[in-house]
Amino acid sequence: MKKFLVGLLFIGLAFLLLINFAELPEEKLITFSLSDYYIGFGLEQTGALNLVTAILYDYRGFDSLGESTVIFAAVSGIVLILSRKMLPVSSHGLSFIVKRTLGILTPFIALFSLYVITHGHLTPGGGFQGGVILAAISIIFSIVYGSAFDYKRYSPELKTTFETGGALVFIIIGGLGILFDGFFLDNLDFLTHSPGTLISAGSIPLINIGIGFKVGAGLAIVFYSMIQKTFGEEF
Amino acid sequence: MISISILLLIIIPLVVAFLIPLLDLYNKLLRRYLVIIGGVIEISISIYIIISYFSDLKAGKFFLTYYLGGWGPPFGINLVMDSVSLIFSSLISFALFFIIIYSIGFIGHHEGKYYVLFFLILGAMQGAILTGDMFNLYVFIELLTVTSAPLVAFKRNKHATEAAIKYMFYGVIGGLFFFVGVILLYFNIGSLNMAQLAQHFAEIENNMQLTIISIFLIGLLIKIGIFPFHFWLPKAHSACPSSLSALLSGVLLKVYLYIFIRLFWIVIGFEFLLEFNIASFLVYLALVSSLFGHVFALQASDIKRMLAFSSIGHIGMILAVFLLNTETGFYGGLLHIISHLLMKTGLFLSTGYLLQYTKSNHIDDFAGVGHQNKGIFVGFILLTLSMIGMPPFIGFFSKWYIIMAFLKIQHHFGAIVVVLGSLSAVFYYLRFIAKGYEKIKLSASDLKNEIYNRPILSVFYREKLVTTVIYIFVGMIILTGFSFRLFELPLQEGIKELINPQNYINLILGG
Repeated sequence: MKKFLVGLLFIGLAFLLLINFAELPEEKLITFSLSDYYIGFGLEQTGALNLVTAILYDYRGFDSLGESTVIFAAVSGIVLILSRKMLPVSSHGLSFIVKRTLGILTPFIALFSLYVITHGHLTPGGGFQGGVILAAISIIFSIVYGSAFDYKRYSPELKTTFETGGALVFIIIGGLGILFDGFFLDNLDFLTHSPGTLISAGSIPLINIGIGFKVGAGLAIVFYSMIQKTFGEEF
Repeated sequence: MISISILLLIIIPLVVAFLIPLLDLYNKLLRRYLVIIGGVIEISISIYIIISYFSDLKAGKFFLTYYLGGWGPPFGINLVMDSVSLIFSSLISFALFFIIIYSIGFIGHHEGKYYVLFFLILGAMQGAILTGDMFNLYVFIELLTVTSAPLVAFKRNKHATEAAIKYMFYGVIGGLFFFVGVILLYFNIGSLNMAQLAQHFAEIENNMQLTIISIFLIGLLIKIGIFPFHFWLPKAHSACPSSLSALLSGVLLKVYLYIFIRLFWIVIGFEFLLEFNIASFLVYLALVSSLFGHVFALQASDIKRMLAFSSIGHIGMILAVFLLNTETGFYGGLLHIISHLLMKTGLFLSTGYLLQYTKSNHIDDFAGVGHQNKGIFVGFILLTLSMIGMPPFIGFFSKWYIIMAFLKIQHHFGAIVVVLGSLSAVFYYLRFIAKGYEKIKLSASDLKNEIYNRPILSVFYREKLVTTVIYIFVGMIILTGFSFRLFELPLQEGIKELINPQNYINLILGG
């Protein structure tokens, strides 16, 4: 009965939202809205071919600082709740074939993630997406080789250094904006070559690199603290 | 006026939070110094802002702004500090500085992550108060939820985990409603800047206005913990260590109140709440919530739960008095926000000290604590007297102005609720005070039980620090009680801004 009532409530709410979203006007009230402005002047003002990145790291860079801090907070919270012991408890990993194959594949995964991170201002992708691919390396390592191997290769200390380092890089680049252009997170224009090349769009690629390492290390830490707990209960 | 100091209020806590894990790898003992330095920098920025712009405040044109990335409004994110934000922002830096010092003596384990999350909360609070952009505000609300939920589970027992999951669930749902509201605003108007939204909100179609208002209302009422949505609050606020209860109940609720005020008086405009007849309904809802909070506090046998329920009572009262939309109402509400922040933070902190040797927070374990810690218990009694509304303390003056605001517009139900709340507060605080002064007669088996069950790790290693902070809060409620006119200037300026939101729009968008 309770479930039925809750379901009814949700259906009613969804219906109301549906009606209201269907009524959304085609035209926005302001003649020159935010999206028009970004589409019209994005490339010219930021030098980034990928407009999404231009909005994320230049026009609304402070939001991205907030969002990456959310990830940082989530990682800290999960470590706080799940942390039990720092001893590496590990399974033996999978078979020889899988281990060997992964050994060959790993450099390419790393290369791809670095490509996604550094080309964020030119092609779809960027720090957040590339960072997740980077984290996948560490996660696959602990599944295939066992988490003790992952612990030895990429110790939690190293991961923490990368995570906080990435976050600090973001803030330092923001601070450089104050020094050179007068405002926090201002685009460092002198780093720009012609639009479309790798070194363009000012500070956007640098911020991307910082966020990439931060997100990658953060997700790896989350996975490591979770796997530690499950193994602790199994053995 | 463009000023970098308001940006530093947000960035400094973030930098400290990012530095703590790095410093932990090097030397864990240095962490405490970094934490204190961070708190000192934060509070000194607040003091610097007050001192250097005092002449502006006096002339009634205090207004600081900052353009992030150099993109001015309406296309970029801007930070704004007016008199209302000045009150909240400096109160928060002040209160959190002392809670940090208290934590150094109080928290004995997992300190690294505790301080990381603590400073992220500080940064997020300042961000939520200072931002002038709707989506940025959502980001900071999300950050507040994500940082405070793990801290609720800090004790990691069954009770705390359950409370944290509930807190996370309600927090995320509330944030989601807020997000839908922001989306609807953007799709209708095409901007995210608060001033521009305020300028164009009247041009939206009527049904859409009602939808947007109700969605924001649901989201924020969940966050503030008003009656139909208050279930998560007492559990979450009583499950965590006392320093965190003080943070959540004393400070964080005020940030959500500030967001409510900012949204419904500046961005949306109060005349729409009146137009759809929501305002009077909300006043009664908040008053009923206040009554419920006090009644539930009467039956709570766990002291921290009792304090959390009393928070529901007081927050409901503050919200109701704001929704009257009169000058005296704003004055009473803002003054009570200040006084409730000081009193509730002090109460939770002193409770944390008093409960150090007890097995649980239950009232039976409270017996005899008054004899063991005489000084702190007297402070506890003074704080409760201020909470009830006794004359020399600040609690009396703020409650007085609230009752006056209700009586001035002949809203008798509101005045009755405030008085009833105070009366019931007398009962529920007296229960605990009487219990605290009870003489305990220990039989042999009781003594044995007591010795075996006494928690081993409850002793503070810096007791002086903890007691000093509690005495500072007790001193503050007495001092501000005698000189609450100190707040007169920023309060009056804040009231002017709330009554005339057009001024805010003009200042940001430039005429």
